[in-house]
Amino acid sequence: MKFKDYYEVLGVAKTASDDEIKVAYRKLARKYHPDVSKELEAEERFKEVGEAYAVLKDPEKRAAYDQVGSQAKHGQDFTPPPNWDSGFEFSGNGFNSNAGDQSAFFEELFGRQARGRQQSTMNAKGQDHHAKVMIDLVDAYLGAKRTITLQMPTHDAQGRVFIQDRKLDVTIPKGIHAGQHLRLTGQGSPGVGTGPSGDLYLEITFKPTPQFRIDGRDVYMDLPISPWEAALGEKVDVLTPSGSVDLKIPPGSNSGRKLRLKGRGIPGKEPGDLYVVIVIVTPAAETEAEKEAYFSMAKSFNFNPRKDIKG
Amino acid sequence: MQTNTTQITEISIVEDEVHMTTIELCHTIDIDQEDLVAWVQEGILNPIGTSPEDWRFSGDTLSRAKKALRLSRDLEINTPGVAMVLDLLDEISELRKRLG
Repeated sequence: MKFKDYYEVLGVAKTASDDEIKVAYRKLARKYHPDVSKELEAEERFKEVGEAYAVLKDPEKRAAYDQVGSQAKHGQDFTPPPNWDSGFEFSGNGFNSNAGDQSAFFEELFGRQARGRQQSTMNAKGQDHHAKVMIDLVDAYLGAKRTITLQMPTHDAQGRVFIQDRKLDVTIPKGIHAGQHLRLTGQGSPGVGTGPSGDLYLEITFKPTPQFRIDGRDVYMDLPISPWEAALGEKVDVLTPSGSVDLKIPPGSNSGRKLRLKGRGIPGKEPGDLYVVIVIVTPAAETEAEKEAYFSMAKSFNFNPRKDIKG
Repeated sequence: MQTNTTQITEISIVEDEVHMTTIELCHTIDIDQEDLVAWVQEGILNPIGTSPEDWRFSGDTLSRAKKALRLSRDLEINTPGVAMVLDLLDEISELRKRLG
């Protein structure tokens, strides 16, 4: 396990005041909040920042952390000494965030205090759970049977928390797309008393692919073509997520032109569209004959691609 | 580590097939009813119906409600602030679409 320097994560000095820590956290939280941020790996960074703040804002946890951390450096291998936190008393019931969100480092130090919310009523529906799953774009086109593995914090008979692997055989319905949720009835926490089990909600995301960009139900793909195909027009065989399509490239097409294939986006009651974006690729002139071909083009055309740019 | 495989039979696409009552939505994202009422009064969520007892939330409310919850908890933004951030995020995504 690697040691995490929470001060370094927040970019503050070890002597920082509570206010300085709060200001640093707020700034980073706004920068990396996954709902707002366009930064790479925003979600990872946001969790890290939140974890650091959860410890450093709390005087008891900060003191305990300072004690174990006095010798360690960020990224170093680290094992907390046994009973490192004896003598520290933690008030409250730990943290509001989901247990799964914390790093192994955090779990090791503070994990034992994390407790689920206590149900006060005798009969109540079990807690609903939320998880994210990644599927392939083609699963949204065709539907698919997938086995999904979820790690869930569970209590044993003694009330100890342990991580249980749950495998679920799920039928991914055709037409689902990123940001939508699947509800798996009864797959959340068991109910209390005679209450029914909670439900499990799976938020769908797509595995990133280099070929396709996805916006709601619409799908975009680049199609490289040669300059003569672009100028003269051509029928091209295009491999779309829903199979091969003979696409007619209109004569006089330029890079960036979008050809819309209606209804060939993600299927549904109102199916999305597939946009094929033209990218003209210019072959290198290596042999004499190839160079000659370009020279003869230059002679044949009275063409200035920069005529709209004022010098 | 224990492992078991469960066959899932009851599955629905929330956005297309599910409507939620006030109690169900509160339970699902684990918030108090008074917070949800405040969100509706601020126009963050728009259920059908006239009072919390007969509100019905469409399935695509879930994403928006989760987002509202994250913003208010993670950044400690108050309800009018959350409403404004969500409106601005909608506007940004609309503008991005027009650029694309």
